[in-house]
Amino acid sequence: MSDTPILELRHVSKSYGSVKALTDVSLKAYAGEIIGLVGDNGAGKSSMIKTISGVYTPDEGEILVDGTPRHWRSPHDAIAAGIETLYQDSGLAPDLTIGSNIFLGRELRRRSLLGRLGFLDQRSMESQAMQELEKVGISIGAAKRTVSELSGGQRQAVAIGRAAMWAKHVIILDEPTNHLGARQSIEVLKVMKAARDRGLCVLFISHTLPHVLEVTDRIIVLRLGRIVRDAPTSEFTVESLLGTITGLSQ
Amino acid sequence: MPPNQVTPVTEVPRWRSLLANQLTVLVVILVVLMVLLGNHNSRFFTSSEMSFLLADFSGLVLVAVAETFVIISGGIDLSVGSVMAVSGVLAARAMQPLINSHTNEAVVLILGTLVALAAGALAGAINATLIVGFNVVPFVATLAMWYGGQGLALVWTGGQPYGLNPGAQTWSAQTIPGLPFVSWLSLIVIAITVVLGLVLRKARYGRYTFAIGSNNFAARAAGIGVKRYVGSFYILSGALAGLTGMFFDIRLGSGAPTTGQTTTLIAIAAVVIGGTSLFGGSGTYIGTVLGAAILIVVQDGAIFVNVSANWVPVVVASVVAVASIIQSGRLRLRRRS
Repeated sequence: MSDTPILELRHVSKSYGSVKALTDVSLKAYAGEIIGLVGDNGAGKSSMIKTISGVYTPDEGEILVDGTPRHWRSPHDAIAAGIETLYQDSGLAPDLTIGSNIFLGRELRRRSLLGRLGFLDQRSMESQAMQELEKVGISIGAAKRTVSELSGGQRQAVAIGRAAMWAKHVIILDEPTNHLGARQSIEVLKVMKAARDRGLCVLFISHTLPHVLEVTDRIIVLRLGRIVRDAPTSEFTVESLLGTITGLSQ
Repeated sequence: MPPNQVTPVTEVPRWRSLLANQLTVLVVILVVLMVLLGNHNSRFFTSSEMSFLLADFSGLVLVAVAETFVIISGGIDLSVGSVMAVSGVLAARAMQPLINSHTNEAVVLILGTLVALAAGALAGAINATLIVGFNVVPFVATLAMWYGGQGLALVWTGGQPYGLNPGAQTWSAQTIPGLPFVSWLSLIVIAITVVLGLVLRKARYGRYTFAIGSNNFAARAAGIGVKRYVGSFYILSGALAGLTGMFFDIRLGSGAPTTGQTTTLIAIAAVVIGGTSLFGGSGTYIGTVLGAAILIVVQDGAIFVNVSANWVPVVVASVVAVASIIQSGRLRLRRRS
C-alpha cells in the first residue's frame, strides 16, 4: 500500500444557506481498501459523496487525488480523475444489453470509415464486457442479454462491475445493497471485495450495519456533518457502531 | 461454478418464441392482407397498383421512422402532420415563381427540398426548445406546434393549394429503368429509411436514443448530453416531416395546406403496431416500416375493394385496434417466457 492517500479530504465544509451539511471533514483513503461510511439520515453522508464526486463544490477545504489538489467543476471532472460513483437506484438502462450498459457513454467504434460515422463495434464491447466482469467475479452467460432479464442482485453486481471497470482510483457506492435480499446482497459484497483486490479504493455507504462490518476494512462515522469516529472495522460491533452513529455511546 | 453465476436462459418453446417475435407476426399480417387482396382481384398486383401503394407508403414511412426515434427516447411528436403541410406550402411558394422561368428543373427541386427541410427543422427546433429549454411536456409542446402549424399553413396559402405546374408531377412519376413500379422519389425515401434504420440499430446515436428512453438518469450519469440528444430527435422529426412535405408537393403537383392532416396519428399507429413501447426504451425500425406498410395496404386495399371513402378510416382504425391487441398479447407471452 502506497503512503500517498489515493483520495484525501482536507478540512472540507459545505453548507446550504444556514444549514451546515459538512463541518471540517478530513479523511484519507488508500488504494486497496474498503471504507464504510455510516451515519444517521442527515449526518452528511450524501453531501460528502456528492462533494467527492463533483456534484457539489465545497465551500472550504480541498480534495486531493493521489496527492494532487483537484477542483471539480462537474461530475465529469471527477470521472475523468478516476472516481466513479454509483448513486442509489441510478443503475442501468434496463432495455439495453449488459454489454451496452457497461460501455454506455464510452462506446467502442468500428475501426473503419463507418466507425468515424459513429457506428459501433458491438461484438468487441460484448466480449470485453464479459472479460471485465469476470475479473470482478461476475460471470454472465452472455453480454447480449438485456439488463431487464437480470435479478436485482445481478443488476447491482453489473452496475458495480461497470464502475469498477472504469474507475482508476475510487468507486463510491451509495446504498448498493438496498432493496436486495440476503443472497443477492452477498453477490454485491463479493464484487466489492474483488474491486478492492484489484487495487481500487471503495467507499461504501450503507445503513445495513452487518454488511458494513462484514466487508469493510475501516469505518468512518458521520454525525451532524462531522466525522466522529474513523477506526479499523475490527474495533466495532453492531452495538458499538449503532451507539456511535446515534451518539448514545462512543 | 464461478461466483455470481447468472442463471441460464430457460428454453422457450419454438412456437412461442416465433409468436413472440413481432417481425413474424407483422410479416404474416402483411402477407395475408396482400394475398387476400390479390385473391379478390388479381389486378392488385399490377405495377400501377403497386406503384400507387409504394408512393403512399413513401409519404408515411419517413415520418413514422422519425417518430420511432422520438418515441423510443421516451417522447412523442404530435406535430409532424402540420409540419409537413407548412413545409410543403413554403417549398411550393419558393418554387412557384421559378417554374415557368426556364430555370433548370433540378435547381427548382433542390431549392424546394432545401426550403422544406429548413422549415421542418426549424419547427422541430422550436419543439426542441420548448421541451428541452423550458421543460414543456413533449405531448403539449408538439400539440401546440400541430395546431399552430395547421393555422400557419392556411394563413400562408389563403386556404388554396399553391399550384406548381402539372409537369411537377411527372418528376416523381418516372420509374427506374428495370424496376417496374419504383419511382426515383420512392427510391430516395427508401434509401433515407435504410440509413436511419442502420443508425438506430448500429450507431452511437441510436444507442443513446434507447438509453435515454430506457433510463434517463443512467444516461446522464454515463456522461451522455441528454438534453442535446433529446433536442436533436425533435429536429430530426421536423426535418423528415419537412422532406415529406416536399414529397407531397411533387406527388400532388401543389403545396396544399391540408396535406398531412391524418399523418401524425397514422405514423404513431405504425410505430405502435411495429412493437415500439410508448413508454420508451424499446422498439425497432423494421417493426415501424412493417407497421406503416400494413396500414397503407389496409387503407389502399379498402379503396381497391370499393369500400366507400368515408368508411376507410373506420377500417384502418379497426386494424390498428386488432394489431394493438396482438401486440399486447405478444408482450404478455414474452414476459411469461
